[in-house]
Amino acid sequence: MAAADSPSLALQRRDLCSRGIRLAGKMRSDVVELLDTYVERQGLDASVSVAGVEGVPVAAVERWDEQTGTQRVLENLAAYRAFRVLLAEMLEEQREQLGDTDTALGRALASVLLQVSAFTYHLEELLRLESLGLPSEEEESPPPLDPHLGLFERKLRGLRVLRELSQWAVRSARDLRQIAKHSPATSSAPSPAHSP
Amino acid sequence: VGHPQNLKCVTHNLRKMTCTWDVSPRRRRGQTDFCYTTNDLSPQVCFKTMEKRVEIPVPESSTTVTITTNSIYGTAFATRQFEIHKTDISFVPLTPRILSLTPDFSTSTLNLKWSDNGSAFPYGLDAVWQIQIFRKEGVEKVTYYSKMTHEDVILSWNWTSDMPLECTSHYVKIRCYVNATHFAGPKDWSDWSPVEELPGKDTEPNGNGVFPQDTVLAVGSDVTICCVHEEGQLIQMTYGSQVYPVIHLSSRSSAIRVLNASASDSSGTNVVCSWFEEAIDGTVLFVGYAPDVPQNLSCETSNFLVIKCTWKPGRPSGLYGKRGTNYSLFERISGKNVSCEVNEMNEERVCGFPVLADQKTYNFVLGVFNPIGQTQSSLLVDLFQRVCPKTPEKLTVTAISSTSVHLRWFINGSFAEIRLLCQIEISGDHFERKMHNVSMPGGKFSTYTAQVATLRPYTKYQFRVRCSAADHFWRWSDWSRVEEQTTQEA
Repeated sequence: MAAADSPSLALQRRDLCSRGIRLAGKMRSDVVELLDTYVERQGLDASVSVAGVEGVPVAAVERWDEQTGTQRVLENLAAYRAFRVLLAEMLEEQREQLGDTDTALGRALASVLLQVSAFTYHLEELLRLESLGLPSEEEESPPPLDPHLGLFERKLRGLRVLRELSQWAVRSARDLRQIAKHSPATSSAPSPAHSP
Repeated sequence: VGHPQNLKCVTHNLRKMTCTWDVSPRRRRGQTDFCYTTNDLSPQVCFKTMEKRVEIPVPESSTTVTITTNSIYGTAFATRQFEIHKTDISFVPLTPRILSLTPDFSTSTLNLKWSDNGSAFPYGLDAVWQIQIFRKEGVEKVTYYSKMTHEDVILSWNWTSDMPLECTSHYVKIRCYVNATHFAGPKDWSDWSPVEELPGKDTEPNGNGVFPQDTVLAVGSDVTICCVHEEGQLIQMTYGSQVYPVIHLSSRSSAIRVLNASASDSSGTNVVCSWFEEAIDGTVLFVGYAPDVPQNLSCETSNFLVIKCTWKPGRPSGLYGKRGTNYSLFERISGKNVSCEVNEMNEERVCGFPVLADQKTYNFVLGVFNPIGQTQSSLLVDLFQRVCPKTPEKLTVTAISSTSVHLRWFINGSFAEIRLLCQIEISGDHFERKMHNVSMPGGKFSTYTAQVATLRPYTKYQFRVRCSAADHFWRWSDWSRVEEQTTQEA
């Protein structure tokens, strides 16, 4: 478990968390914008349900307020590592399906992927700061994309990725605010009981 | 009582015929004595049979048949003679048998193979085949003609369905009519073959889905898109943003028919199958054009190493990425083929072809193809008449005197086989721009020099140079960078 909370450790933690919160906020707005572009460019109905799409980290969580700091960081890390893979697949799919056309969507996807990678690195930094071991990537990578998935299902999958990512960005900011107050190893302080 | 009657003879192969008869009233009997003679006075042939059918040769003109029925104790009951004329014999080909029924789902095409059974006949004949393809709803009859030889030939025939083969089961049967013009008797169709079935996805437990899956269509096509769903589900189908009336193919398969499909966006047109507003499945159709004939195809070389061909693509196909338009450059004389890496976003398309040793003339065919179609454009080029050197580089001014200078520049390329014409532009503040043309033998990745005289002393000049082929002017290179220099004082 982490050493008692030395002032410098707390300071570094608060700095990492505040930078992470800013990054999550930027990511959130970019993903929401990307979502609109994606729906329009893929000819999808904005209200289409993607509940049936699997293999995407779900942001909604039960008893969010009871989570320990470590749980928060680890769950965030697992999710963003998965999103990194999923967004890379979407980018590859975009290039394969559309070639050089629609580079705007491609650039926006690449930008969000970059931010997700940065945020993942950020979470890893937070775990290192608290001397908590980094889980191996293999355990958490999402199931590989089924090559037989039809294009329409891939479009829905992309939509689910972006919808969940936009929710995760909100949850991550709230998680980091919790962690900023306490060392990840301690249980979190009571707060209004509702999930993001 | 007990007389043989209703003797009928049918041939399936114009060689042998099967004769059948019946005896009334029906009672347990002994063997029957069957004798026949053909009219060429060959000896009578007799044999005994328990059946009321025999196979005997088809006569040239007629056959006399004598049938004697016997009691179970072998005593003759009744005898009857028949005269069978060749006009009485009917000809019904054997029932054909389908050898294979193979689907190509990507093109919704069925391939049917069957044997024409030609070896059964004594000589070649014209055959007519009737093929019937049917689904739960609707049937299509097609006639196919073939020429039978003396051997068995496997016939193969393709049929393209108006809907994806996955949508519902397709059934096929076939029958045959042989146009034996020399045969005098009545001729008829064979029986239908046993039915062959190609099961649809609506017969498979995990067959749900929307078909065709992610396919490419030409603008203006009519297309049937189906949704295979759970038993009895009342589904809704949208094409793009439009809801279409649903056609029920079976209890697990519903379809829509889109007529005169218009071009889709770059990401394709979504076709969504929903049940209670919830999207259960979907597909993406890419509706585009066959590639347009390339326009303004032009080829030149800037360095005698690579020939650069450029063209305008014409009407966009509307298909991108892996469905985009591919180009290849084929040179007829050398037989060399190059596939082109083309950026779909550039207004002008470019493709490079290597300059070949000892080849001056190039007969190019630019092949263009995408999933919908292909076209081409051709161009015959004499390379020496299509030289546009690269931009002169490293322009320097040396040997400066009061009235003349030497200019040096480098051109990246191998021009040893031609003469170059270079144009030097001389400009300055207080006089009009002057052009100075100079011709020189081309070199291999060489530096070139030229003297410019009749300059004014102590005057600032700007020099730049461009070059072209001297003998067959095609195009000037771009101008080099400007080099500024002041002449010496007098």
